[in-house]
Amino acid sequence: MTVLAFALLLAGGVYLVAMLEAWTTTGRFRPLAPFVRGFALLGRESLVPRQPDRLFFEIAPMLLLVAAVLALAVLPIAPGAIGVDLATGALFVNAALAYVMVALVMAGWGANGAYSMIAGWRFLGQLVAYSMLIVMPITAVGMRAASLVTTVIVTSQTTMWNAVTQPLGFVLFCLAAMAVCFLPPFDLPVAPGELAGGVMGEYTGVRLLVMRLARLLLVLTLAVAITVFYLGGWLGPLLPPWLWTITKTLLVAAAMLGVGRFVPRLRDEHLLAWGWKIGIPLALVNIFWVGITLLVVSP
Amino acid sequence: MMLQLVAVAFFGVAAVAFGIGVFRTRSMVRSALSLLGAMVAIGLMFLAMEAEFLGVLQLMMMASEMTIMAIFMMMYMMDPGGLSQMEMTHQKRTSVGAGIIGGAGALVLSFLTPWGRIVASAPAPGAQLHDLGIELMTRGMLIFETAGFTILVAMIAATLTAIVRQK
Repeated sequence: MTVLAFALLLAGGVYLVAMLEAWTTTGRFRPLAPFVRGFALLGRESLVPRQPDRLFFEIAPMLLLVAAVLALAVLPIAPGAIGVDLATGALFVNAALAYVMVALVMAGWGANGAYSMIAGWRFLGQLVAYSMLIVMPITAVGMRAASLVTTVIVTSQTTMWNAVTQPLGFVLFCLAAMAVCFLPPFDLPVAPGELAGGVMGEYTGVRLLVMRLARLLLVLTLAVAITVFYLGGWLGPLLPPWLWTITKTLLVAAAMLGVGRFVPRLRDEHLLAWGWKIGIPLALVNIFWVGITLLVVSP
Repeated sequence: MMLQLVAVAFFGVAAVAFGIGVFRTRSMVRSALSLLGAMVAIGLMFLAMEAEFLGVLQLMMMASEMTIMAIFMMMYMMDPGGLSQMEMTHQKRTSVGAGIIGGAGALVLSFLTPWGRIVASAPAPGAQLHDLGIELMTRGMLIFETAGFTILVAMIAATLTAIVRQK
């Protein structure tokens, strides 16, 4: 896939996710809203807080963007349409997503504000809660495909989607994916109404634009990841493969953006307790279940 | 091959530079994230040496480990932001001496070790993964299980000592 096609795909995807986000928050469908918001942010002054850690403050939005793009680069859109087809693709997604946390901690620390710093460290706690629920369901997916190559994971679902054969892993991965993108009810690091914007609170103007763009891209990346790992990626009848991926991705993104709005924000200690006391045992049960089905049902 | 060598050298120098950065700053968080930078550079060295799994694993593990270290450094130091010019180093003579001896030892060892012929082609990344899995499930199983169990015991023990008994 050429770089231009990849960039166009990114831009189109981000635009659609932005529209979906506006739709889920305001209830109205306005195709021009993302452009209006973007240009409005470009026109605003980009303030730098007093005595910042300037290096972290400037790097953080870029690092968030790069982490999301890198994770997306190893996920296939259609047969042959993949940025980099790594042998450790599924693991690489997780490696790239770990830097989302680094970026948010940098943003929180760099801005030299109490709220943003608390929000940054909070996301570190959130990572401790969700990271196992990213890795362990991916392990089960890799077990079925007998590979970590993302394209092989898609083709391993020809007979049946992973969402059907591993429902437990699917649910856990979706919840963890929402926690990665800090969407409600896992929006602890931004926490509107509680931490005054959290990690994004001290960012304005063009820096905030990059930050928001990166977050939308992150939602897109995780939606593609769920599609590839659990919903059969490009597989589907009649329509061309790339259209299947895009359709599924948008549906997943709409669900991720919409569902959480009806649930109150979780407290961080609850998130940690539930992640470790309920989530990890269930993820182990999922791995065990997949192992049994692989040995017994389809030897 | 030449490109690989250049990449390995570049990331090696970057790792050393980040390592120096750990001690050149007065901010605890900068220090910890500088160490993360060094670890990332080592991960990229692995990737340049075609050890894909090791490289990706290094990149993945170090991000959370170093940031967790950062929060502990921030919690325990009296001046985490480095605003009041706190000195980061201590026992300078001893550490300089130890550093010189350690560095010289490593250099001597690297020249004395018979490395054998430089292998130009590594197995394909997929084959590496397969071989590693077989290794973990056969010869290396006892070692890794022992190590894993030891770490688990240490974690439980550390948690237990940290819990304040409520009466």
